[in-house]
Amino acid sequence: MDANTAEQIVLRAVQSVFDQIGEPLPENLSAESVLVGPDAIIDSLGVVSLIVEIEQIVEAEHGVSVILANDKAMSAKNSPFRTVGVLAAHVIATIEEAKAA
Amino acid sequence: MNDWFFERLKSFGEDKALVYPTASGERVASYRDLLEAKERFGAELGQRGIGAGDVVAVEGAFTLSATALILALIEAQAVALPMVREMRAQRDACLGVAEAEWLFEFDEEDNRTVTDLRPVHRTNKTLEKLRERKSPGLVIFSSGSTGQPKGILHDFAQILKKFEKVRQKKVTLCFLLFDHIGGVDTLLSTLTSGGTLVTVARRDPATVVETIERHRVHTLPTSPTFLNLLLISGLVEKHDLSSLRVIAYGTEPMPAGTLARLHATFPEVALVQTYGMSEVGVLRSRSKDSNSPWIEFSQEGFQVDVRDGILWVKAETAMLGYLNAPDLFDEDGWLNTQDAVEVDGPYFRILGRKTDLINVGGQKVYPTEVEGCLLEMPNVRDVSVFGKPNPMTGQMVAARFNLIEPEPLAEFKVRMFAFCRSRLAAYQIPRAVEIITEDQFGARFKKSRREH
Repeated sequence: MDANTAEQIVLRAVQSVFDQIGEPLPENLSAESVLVGPDAIIDSLGVVSLIVEIEQIVEAEHGVSVILANDKAMSAKNSPFRTVGVLAAHVIATIEEAKAA
Repeated sequence: MNDWFFERLKSFGEDKALVYPTASGERVASYRDLLEAKERFGAELGQRGIGAGDVVAVEGAFTLSATALILALIEAQAVALPMVREMRAQRDACLGVAEAEWLFEFDEEDNRTVTDLRPVHRTNKTLEKLRERKSPGLVIFSSGSTGQPKGILHDFAQILKKFEKVRQKKVTLCFLLFDHIGGVDTLLSTLTSGGTLVTVARRDPATVVETIERHRVHTLPTSPTFLNLLLISGLVEKHDLSSLRVIAYGTEPMPAGTLARLHATFPEVALVQTYGMSEVGVLRSRSKDSNSPWIEFSQEGFQVDVRDGILWVKAETAMLGYLNAPDLFDEDGWLNTQDAVEVDGPYFRILGRKTDLINVGGQKVYPTEVEGCLLEMPNVRDVSVFGKPNPMTGQMVAARFNLIEPEPLAEFKVRMFAFCRSRLAAYQIPRAVEIITEDQFGARFKKSRREH
């Protein structure tokens, strides 16, 4: 999967989460949008929803079953959920790992 | 010791005791039929050398012969292990745990096959305890938990004691199965009051309402899951259910919305919550009122205590012990029910099994509370809520739905969030959502709350 496809998946999932919580999508949504921490556009439960959404899209459209919030991801020094762009890279890495396994 | 019991049954003579389905149609048995069949089984047990302390498995249903055999086993002070065909996959394991020496199987025509399972090496200490008491026994296997089924041994004489007081005669539709503590309780409470126990071939809303109408049933003991299906079925209005006086529900917590709809649908019917566990038997309780989830326990010889929000009970009707698991009693004989409760004066509200509790980032979520809300959503037929591991919040809330009409998942989720936002806290709203088409309850109409 290329970086652009992964980023589109994350952005679509962000859109779904905002649809669900019933709030308008933030302006200037981009790869730099922050997902975890003080400037995050969603709260921690929003991140939980977001990850479920991404996992479902990946499984439905790419036929790969992945777990994005695994222990390795949670204990990483730099969270793979920091921003839209970082999360997209994490999606690609996790898919590669799942395929290799 | 149990003379009063058989004398009582005899006094009801030709009254209808059992109405039950067979492969060739419905049959009726009177108290006299039942006692005559009991005598025949008593003689047969004697011929086979089956007596006090022997463990006899009885696979069947509430038919004349299978029920009469249970009565004969009580009289012979043997140990009865009632079983049902639906649980056949676990049969050998259960027979082994209970050290069963005989197996009587009753088929759909109530004909029997007898298997001598001896020699059986008697090693079970809990069974030994019962044999020393010279009491008849009852073995019930706990359902729902995963892994090896747990055998629970009761002193049958203690269970019978609860019914010594004469109560009002009723026609009861027995919804619970033959191997369930609630099924045994319904049987005994019906027989000791001279009532009629009606069982059905299929436990779906259509069969149940048709049977209530035809037999003028007074009492329907069932589960919230079934009552919800009954209300959704739209069949209530099409039948004359005016004979109904009591709907008793137990085995799992009742969602508030289902209770309110039930009350609106059956304003004249007393809605009574029962509380029972295989380990302590079914306890007499009173609902605060028909529309209330609060209950008061009203059984003699029964005490309750709440420790850290968990209900503990001490009851004369409690089991002697597990056959194959460590005891749940503390040193003073109190038993941990593992049910989380709220207390308000003399009243208790059952929140759900502690083991079903979902912990979302330290916040406690009771599946039944969330299910109760989700069941109110338009187009939802049934839902089960459970926890799923999630490293971010420890667990997250997951929900599996059955819908009335098909609906795309993405649209459904948006609708579900909109519906839940004003009714649930954010941490209670399911994050993982699935729509499935197969039913989420087993033969016992009790919800299964686990991941597939």
